[in-house]
Amino acid sequence: MLPRPLKPQYFQILLALKGGELHGYAIQRAVLKQTDDQVRLWPAMLYRSLGKLEEAGLIAESTPPADEPDDERRVYYAITTEGLERLREEAEMLARWVSAAQDAEA
Amino acid sequence: MSTDGDLRRYRLLLRLFPAEFRERHGSEMEALFREMSAQRVEEYGRLGLRFWMSLLWDVGSEALRERWSSTTHTKEDLLSTFLSDVRYAFRQFARQPAYAATIVLLMTLGIAGNAAMFRVYNGLFLKPLPFDEPEQLVDLDETAPAWDLEFLSIAYRDFDTWRSENTTFEAMAVFDRGGGTILIDGEPQRVDYLATTHDIDDVLRIEPLLGRFYRPEEDHPDGPRGALLSEAFWDQSFGSDPDVVGRTVSLNGFVIEVLGILPPEARFYGDADLWFPLRQTRDQFNGWGLNGIGRLRPGVTIEQARADLMSVHKGMIDEFEVNEISSPVVYSLHERYLGDYRLGAVFTFAAVLSVLIIACANIAGLTLVRSLGRGQEVAVRRALGAPRGRIVRQLLTESAVLASLGAALGSVLGVWGSNALVAPLEGQFPSWVVFDLDARFTVFVVLVTVASASLFGLLPALRASRASATRSGGRVAGSISRRRSTGALVAGEVALALSLLVVGSLVMLDVRDLGRADPGFDAEGVSAFSLFLPGNEYEDRAALATFTAAYLPQIQSIPGVTGAAIASMMPVSGNHQGNFFIAEGAPERDEDAAQPVVLTRTVSPEYFEVMSTDLVAGRVFDGFDGREEGTQAIIVNQRFVDTHLTHLPNPVGARVTFGTSLGDAPTWLTVVGVAEDVKHYGVDEDVRPGVYLPLVQNPLRAFAVAFRTTGDPGPILSQARAITREVDAGLPLYNVTLMSEQLDESLFTRRATSWIIGVFSAIALVLSIAGIYGVISYSVRQRTREISLRMAMGARQEDVMRGILAHGMLVVAAGVGVGLLLSMTGANLVSGILVDTRAINPTVYVGVTVLLFAVAGLANYVPARRAALLSPSEALRSE
Repeated sequence: MLPRPLKPQYFQILLALKGGELHGYAIQRAVLKQTDDQVRLWPAMLYRSLGKLEEAGLIAESTPPADEPDDERRVYYAITTEGLERLREEAEMLARWVSAAQDAEA
Repeated sequence: MSTDGDLRRYRLLLRLFPAEFRERHGSEMEALFREMSAQRVEEYGRLGLRFWMSLLWDVGSEALRERWSSTTHTKEDLLSTFLSDVRYAFRQFARQPAYAATIVLLMTLGIAGNAAMFRVYNGLFLKPLPFDEPEQLVDLDETAPAWDLEFLSIAYRDFDTWRSENTTFEAMAVFDRGGGTILIDGEPQRVDYLATTHDIDDVLRIEPLLGRFYRPEEDHPDGPRGALLSEAFWDQSFGSDPDVVGRTVSLNGFVIEVLGILPPEARFYGDADLWFPLRQTRDQFNGWGLNGIGRLRPGVTIEQARADLMSVHKGMIDEFEVNEISSPVVYSLHERYLGDYRLGAVFTFAAVLSVLIIACANIAGLTLVRSLGRGQEVAVRRALGAPRGRIVRQLLTESAVLASLGAALGSVLGVWGSNALVAPLEGQFPSWVVFDLDARFTVFVVLVTVASASLFGLLPALRASRASATRSGGRVAGSISRRRSTGALVAGEVALALSLLVVGSLVMLDVRDLGRADPGFDAEGVSAFSLFLPGNEYEDRAALATFTAAYLPQIQSIPGVTGAAIASMMPVSGNHQGNFFIAEGAPERDEDAAQPVVLTRTVSPEYFEVMSTDLVAGRVFDGFDGREEGTQAIIVNQRFVDTHLTHLPNPVGARVTFGTSLGDAPTWLTVVGVAEDVKHYGVDEDVRPGVYLPLVQNPLRAFAVAFRTTGDPGPILSQARAITREVDAGLPLYNVTLMSEQLDESLFTRRATSWIIGVFSAIALVLSIAGIYGVISYSVRQRTREISLRMAMGARQEDVMRGILAHGMLVVAAGVGVGLLLSMTGANLVSGILVDTRAINPTVYVGVTVLLFAVAGLANYVPARRAALLSPSEALRSE
């Protein structure tokens, strides 16, 4: 069980995979895009995170799409049901925090 | 596209990860790297440093986490904290690059000196000798204070008795150094040899590379002649041919069998080309002249060994009365060969260490000043719940990162700088002294870095962390206590800089005086080489005399040579020959009175002119001196007159003879002249009573040929070689020296020491002045509001200035006071390496103090004036 709240990079990876199976470079680009270029996951951090998420059962390796040529075959990752559930919980928690902060501002 | 080289580099980087991790993710990460770099190149045209720095950080920090996380969770937390502290630190530096760069520069300066000096110190005193259990090895010698000889060297009969009767040594050996001519395929070559007793391999615990060592029965005057070759000589003269073992070579006309090849570590005393048996016996007394080395039994101390040898030695008094005067001495090898350099090395080290401390004080001052600006940031972080320890750690991490950067640069600079120092030093010491870098060096640099970082980081960190949210108003900083700590820092810097300047000036003055001192001869334009006439060809005195009589004029007539002479030894060559002399009519000598040994040289008449050694009285030798019975002559030096001829009104015409007491029919030598004292043992060494004998009276087998030239001695040397070859093809020229170079070399360590101390005391001065300037400017800036208020209320510019100056100069005065006390101690200690300069030299103390006050005053004046010129409104606006 990964401690709550999830580390930002874990959260971003889960979020990126919510849209479908991706390989490393695609995950990196997706995270860049969804954070307005704020979070770039460099290779070592990305793959260590993927390892941790996989060990925790939140993501799993999946078979690459059939149209990928054999010699460029990459490892694809997919989010698990457990991962989807955890992502939802985390997002709700963050939302509660943000709204609390906004209430305090007002 | 990224190149293969880039990928290879990245792959190398990935090795930081455990193998397991690389197996699982390695190829995917490489693929990702290829994709990222392709995109990067597309966008920017190349990968660039920033890209690599990011990759390095990414892989480095994640690999650390990966390796640590496999153990415990707390550790990973600690590591994460540390890594984020480091990142935070770098972000801080990016915000204030000038501050970070200054600190890195100061650290680089501080560490470079220390790294360089440690390398030298380590090589000289810390590295173990290249032998098995080297701590058991000791130097053996005899001392004879009554003859004014600290080291008499060993007589074989003494050694022989020590060896058989001692109870504290595992083994001991004596040896003699020498040189001769070896014939290899008919070609003469000058070689250096070491004649040792047969136990030397047991003492050093060495085995020959090939063949065998000599046996006890070969170490005897009648034994067969055999020798071992050094590895280097074997390689250079025989191309490392193993079949050379068993062959014979001709050395000084003797046929010698090659018994074996020495191991590389047998280059212990100089670099002798061959070792062979000493072949002496107890019954035949050849005087002293041997060096000794012993291996102590385990657990035996040097004192015990000395006491043991002493009782053996004094037990021989009945047989050899002279053993009453001589005593055995035992020293550690380091002490004997390098002990003279220890004080100089310690002082140089102290100088570079002081510079580092001053640099740290400066950094601490800077950091304190900066922590004012960070009061707010720290207060906010504490208000957000950061514990005090966490903030201290953050600030310490910043110090550590800067210190490490400076240390890395400083080590490189230090190693590079010390190369220049080490290269000439290596020739000055026994060949087992090496200055390569080792683990000890690394540990030292790391320790010094950690110590510096805590030195300059801890105080500001503790202080800054005390800032609390309630006081975050920003005007807390001018607190008295902070001003007090910066004041103490500045005073400390001034004190250190002052004492360093005093000690540095003393050492520099001393070396300058030594360089200017008259050594009793003029080395400029004089060159020398040596010749050795082997006994098989030049059998007796007549043959030797005939050779020199015919040879010297040929050298004198080489065009460009303005004079040439023959001498048994040259000044500053490290050679010594001593005898005792007694003067006719001298008062009966007290039995216990000291009798200094007399330096004895044999020279041809031209010697004094060639060397420009002046005669104080009388004349130089003429062609008749010593030629016939009753014309034996001698020239003495001034010191000899003062020690041996005080009973006579006029030394010229006095008669002296060899020995300590008058025999039945002494051979009298008439003093024909008195020469000025020559610093034979080096310009920094004392003069002994000395004499010169005429060459015809005492023909030489080995001698130096000294000649004076007006131009380049190079072509003249080749002509001398040609002439010599023509006279006798079997005589190589050796020990070719330029006297002026030799004289310079004899002062090299002193000059180097004084230059290092001098340069670093100058750096110390500059740093401490920068420290004063920085602190005063800062305090002025801080008090701007107060000053402008005072001025608005009518205070005059002079009053403001006086106030600021008074505060600054008070701090400087405190530093100077402490510094003067410190200098006296330092000067007292350094007096051990001073020759002519006295430790208490008022000019130096006054000069340095005035200099410090003057520059410190300027450093104070500039910011004070700036403050005084402020217009009140401007000052108020600045808040």
